[in-house]
Amino acid sequence: MGNLLTAVNLRAYYRTVQGEEIKAVDDVSLEVREGEVLGIAGESGCGKSTLASVLAFTVTPPLYVVGGEVKANGTNILTLDRETLRREIKGKYISIVPQGAMNSLNPTARIKNFVIDVLKEHFPEMSKEEAIQRAKERFSALSLPPRILDAYPHQLSGGMKQRTVTVISTLLNPKVLIADEPTSALDVSSQKIVIKLLVELLRMQIIKSIVFITHELPLLRHFADRIAVMYAGRIVEVGPMENIIFEPLHPYSKLLMSSVLVPEPGMKSKRIEAIPGVPPNLKNPPSGCRFHPRCPSYAKEFCDTSIPPFVKVGPDHMVSCFLYGGKDE
Amino acid sequence: MRNPFVRYLIQKISWYILAFFVAVSLNFILPRLIPGNPVSVIVNQMATGGVQSDVLERLYSTYMKEFGLDKPLYIQYFNYLRNIFRWNLGTSFMLYPGKVKDLIGRALPWTISLQVPAILSGWIIGNLLGAFSAYKGGKFDSVAFTLSLVFSNIPYYCLAIVFLYLLAVRFGLFPVGGGYSFGIVPTLSLKFIADAIYHYILPYLSMVLVAIGGQAIGMREMSLYELTSDYVNYAKNLGVRDERIIRYVFRNAMLPQITGLAISFGTMMGGALVTESVFSYPGVGSLLFTAIRQSDYPLIQGCTLIITIAVLTANFLVEIAYGFIDPRIRAVQLGER
Repeated sequence: MGNLLTAVNLRAYYRTVQGEEIKAVDDVSLEVREGEVLGIAGESGCGKSTLASVLAFTVTPPLYVVGGEVKANGTNILTLDRETLRREIKGKYISIVPQGAMNSLNPTARIKNFVIDVLKEHFPEMSKEEAIQRAKERFSALSLPPRILDAYPHQLSGGMKQRTVTVISTLLNPKVLIADEPTSALDVSSQKIVIKLLVELLRMQIIKSIVFITHELPLLRHFADRIAVMYAGRIVEVGPMENIIFEPLHPYSKLLMSSVLVPEPGMKSKRIEAIPGVPPNLKNPPSGCRFHPRCPSYAKEFCDTSIPPFVKVGPDHMVSCFLYGGKDE
Repeated sequence: MRNPFVRYLIQKISWYILAFFVAVSLNFILPRLIPGNPVSVIVNQMATGGVQSDVLERLYSTYMKEFGLDKPLYIQYFNYLRNIFRWNLGTSFMLYPGKVKDLIGRALPWTISLQVPAILSGWIIGNLLGAFSAYKGGKFDSVAFTLSLVFSNIPYYCLAIVFLYLLAVRFGLFPVGGGYSFGIVPTLSLKFIADAIYHYILPYLSMVLVAIGGQAIGMREMSLYELTSDYVNYAKNLGVRDERIIRYVFRNAMLPQITGLAISFGTMMGGALVTESVFSYPGVGSLLFTAIRQSDYPLIQGCTLIITIAVLTANFLVEIAYGFIDPRIRAVQLGER
C-alpha cells in the first residue's frame, strides 16, 4: 500500500494588503496512505482548513504556497499548470467535500444539471442520459433516493444536501477525498449518516482514502485510522487513532483531549479542563515550539528558542516535543 | 383540485387591480392640486383682444360646463372613472377640441421608439460590461467601473444638456431639437427615416450612456458576489471549466437586473419627460410637461394613466417571469412553502 498523497515541508501563507504574511501552514510534512482515514484535528485558526485547500489545490489569493511540494504518483502536483490540474486532478484524483456544503449547489439549477456538467467536463463523449444514468446508479448504491437528481437544492434538507454533495464529489471515483468539517453544520443524527456514507464510499472502493478535517476530536474516534494534531500552522503529533485519543503525548494533544467530553466509563469523575491562553497570532508565531507560551509542562529552557524535531515514540507515532527527546544533552 | 399557479395569478391580479384603482385616484386628485383654474387661463388668453366682460363670463361658464368642472368634485371623480372604463380620455383644455386619445396616440410612437431601444441596448451592454469586468478584474475593471460610476451618477438631463450644448450648439454636429426637421412630412420615406435617425442620436446617447453605467455597476456587484460564492468554488474544485461556471454566475446575477429592466420600462414615459423637453422631442414626455404647465387636467390624467398602466404591467410581467427563472420563487408561487 503506497502513499496517495505526500506533502513535504509545505508552507502556505496568506498575504495581507499591508504586506504582512500569515503563516497558516508552516513546514508541514504528511502522507495520505491508501485505504486509510486520516483525521486532522486542531482548534479554530490552526491552519487545518488551509492545509486542506493546499492538498486539494484550491489555493486562491491571498493564500500562496511559498514552499514545499505535494506529490502524487511521484510528481509534484503543485507545479502542474491550471488546465492540467483541472482536467486530470480536480474531482478525479483529489476531490473535496467543502466546509460550506449548504451553499455549494447552484440555487437555480436542478441537481442533475450540475451532475451532467461535472461528468461531461471529464467525459465529453458521454451523453446526458448516460450521465444521469450513472448518477442514478451511484445514488441508489449509496441508498440515496435517485429522485434527488430532479430536485433543486432548496428542496433538500441540510443533511440531505450534505450527502448529495458528498456523492457528487465522488462521482468520478477520486483517490483522495478531502472532507473539510463536513459535519459541523449538522445535527448529531445527520452527522452520523454522513460519516456512515463516507465509510461506505471507502468500503466500496469508490474512494481510496479520506482526509477528514475537524475540530471535534471525539468524532474521529469512530472511523479514523490515524490522526494528525495541528497547532498554529504546524503538526505537533501524528499517530494511530487509539494512541492519539487515549494516550496523547504532546502537551497540546493532551489538553485538547481532556477539554472534550467523551461519554466513556470513568469520564464522570474527570475534570474538564480548558486550555489556558489564546491561540497565537500567526502573523508572528511564537519562536521555538509554538505551544510554549501556553504549555503547562514547559520546562526546558530551549523550548522558546529551538523548534522540537519529530521524535518517533512508538510504531507509526511521532511527536514534536522536547519532553520526548530531540535535543542532545 | 385547483391549480395553485392559477390561484397565485388570481391573487396577484387582484392586488394589481387595487393598486391600479389607487393610482388612478391619485391621477385624478394630484392635477387638481395645482394652483390656478385652467379655464380662467384659457379665457384670459382670449381676453387679450379686448372682449366685453359679459362675453368672457359666458365663455367661462360654457367652458366650465363643457369640461364638466362646474359639477361637484365627487361627481367629476365618478365621471372620470366611468370614462376610463369606456376608454374615453376626454378633450384637452389647451388644444381644444383635440381628443386626449389622439394626442397621446400621436406622441406615444416617438417616446417608445426613443426609449425602448435606449433601455434595451443600455441594459444588454451594461450587463455584459458589468459581468465581464467582474470576471476580468484588474485594469479593465478599474477603467470600466470608474466610467460606469461617472455616467450613472450624472443626472441624465445634465448629460443631455451638455451634449446639446457641445455637440449641437457649439459644433453643430447634430440638430438642436425636435424629432425631425421642419418641412419634412412624417411618412415612411427614406428621407424621413434618415432625418429622424439624425435627430434621434443625441437623445438616445444621453440616455443610453446613463443606462449602461447604472446597469454595469449593478451587474458587477452581483457578479462579484456570485463569483465568490460557495457553489462557484465547489464547481471549480470538481474541475468544471470557467466558461461553464460563468454561465451559472451570469444567470444568477441577472435576477435582480431583470427587476431593473422592468422598472426602466415602467418608468419609461416619466423618465422621458426631461430628455424630451431638453431636445423638444415630440413624445409623451413633452406632452405631459406642457399639460402640467397649462393645468390641462384631461391631458395630465391621460398621460399619467398610460404611465400607470405601463408601470403596473411591467411589474406584473416581471413577477411572473421571476418564477420561471428562479425555482425558489416558483416554489413560493406554487405555494410549496
